[in-house]
Amino acid sequence: MSWFMGVDIGSAHSKGVITRDSELAASHIIISGANYRTSAETIRTELVTKVNVTQSDIANTVATGSGADNVHFASQKASDIVCTARGINNVFPQARTVIDVASQSTRVIRLNEKGIVTNFTVSEKCAAGGGRFIEVIANVLRISLSDFSQLAARSRSPITFSTGCAVFGESEAITRISEGIPKEDIAAGVNKALASTISSLVKKLKLEEPCAVCGGGALNTALVKTIETELNTSLLIPPQPQLIAALGAAIIAATPPTSQSRKET
Amino acid sequence: MYFAGVDIGSTMTKVLLTDKSGNLLSTIKGPTGAEHRQLANEVMRQALQEANLQIDDISYIVATGYGRLNVPFADRQITELSCHARGVSSLFPSARTAIDIGGQDAKCMKIDNGRLTSFVMNDKCAAGTGRFLEVTATALGIKLEDMGEISLKAAKKIQISNLCTVFAQQEVVALLSRGEKLENIVAGLHDALAGRIAALARRLGVELDLVLTGGVAKNTGMVKAMKESLGCEILVPEEPLITGALGAAILAKEIYMKAVAAGEALPAKPRRLEKATFFSEEHQ
Repeated sequence: MSWFMGVDIGSAHSKGVITRDSELAASHIIISGANYRTSAETIRTELVTKVNVTQSDIANTVATGSGADNVHFASQKASDIVCTARGINNVFPQARTVIDVASQSTRVIRLNEKGIVTNFTVSEKCAAGGGRFIEVIANVLRISLSDFSQLAARSRSPITFSTGCAVFGESEAITRISEGIPKEDIAAGVNKALASTISSLVKKLKLEEPCAVCGGGALNTALVKTIETELNTSLLIPPQPQLIAALGAAIIAATPPTSQSRKET
Repeated sequence: MYFAGVDIGSTMTKVLLTDKSGNLLSTIKGPTGAEHRQLANEVMRQALQEANLQIDDISYIVATGYGRLNVPFADRQITELSCHARGVSSLFPSARTAIDIGGQDAKCMKIDNGRLTSFVMNDKCAAGTGRFLEVTATALGIKLEDMGEISLKAAKKIQISNLCTVFAQQEVVALLSRGEKLENIVAGLHDALAGRIAALARRLGVELDLVLTGGVAKNTGMVKAMKESLGCEILVPEEPLITGALGAAILAKEIYMKAVAAGEALPAKPRRLEKATFFSEEHQ
């Protein structure tokens, strides 16, 4: 019986999980902050405390995310695409497409029944392609991200953003507020804009059902509903969608090196 | 006989008055701003005051720029592209290409005989406009108008790896906290923006002489970066902000003279200075 750890250092949040016999034993999420190395260490300390073991009890650790290099205690790095596919395959073995809505970008991944990536695409290097667009507008609306989804769900007539740029979108949202447009219509408008960017990414790759959604963006249920409408499908949502890549990393950590296909690493 | 050009940009509102011979009587600039959208009439009032004129002394008024449709006292609206081309070629008759970098868009224009012949513009992505510098200056805690001076002290340029303004904002703060010198970061920002504008200009094809206008042309560091990116000399008007309003005033005179010559109806008087807003009631 061994413990394995997966650490996902993202641009906004750092996530970590510990697994035991392929089951999730503990998880921890913190804001990445300015020092990724400290964040990685905090996650390790919190995780081992939660399952009441010592650091030396962890058989193997795999790091992923844009800050993976800062996880000095990991034996190996794995790409976030591969980790997300593995993680989603663990929760939803039937999933053939996964949409990962992260802060900096959105990734759409096609995978087979073993969780092996067959194709993927990533949004352009633009804040309007990821959850950051929502953060920017939530800030203008002076509402927290956790309230964003509920607020957007109340809208009856979402606004249409005339721009595809988050910076110009911010100005547009300010203009709409000054015109007296209700906050919920602006919030729903951002969801609509992001959902439309995401669904064109999915269509580029061709949707193969069932499709799952993960990443912090999956917590925005109003966004998920809008994507479902755009794609005319229902999406599988894992219980803790932000942890999927970290979970995938832990699963890779538990996989003996010989059985990992060379293509994946 | 007097003429007026009103240019309502996303960042600045400019009003310019000329007499019959085209002499400048006054130019007034004010921030457009989110809260200052009713500024056109106020800027006009100031311009009239400076020239010691009344609104009814003005024979013809042309409005241009992003907010041109909402200048109630204007006789005609003309796109900023035509006005810029006209304004630039009146200042530099040798100009064949004009690049205008504003707070909300960047335009590259080809000019022949004072007329616009073709153009390309970017209004889709903030990273290719003056907004890129505005946002990153705020993140760095410096004034937009100080960026040029600061960048001239740079010993090297730090390459900005993010294209998106939102991500670059984060990146410059991280660079500062990592101990990179402010001037080197600012020089890197200029280089990044200049590279994107130069790519836009090359799509149109650059023909000399080239004139740079718009608020960004006031930034000496940006002018330097543009020269390096394009590999050619660049002419900058003394007042790079007012070429659009100048073109509008010149066109106002031309339209008026033509109408007089043809015996057509002239604008009705008296005029009233009213509040100008960006979004009129029916748009809501």
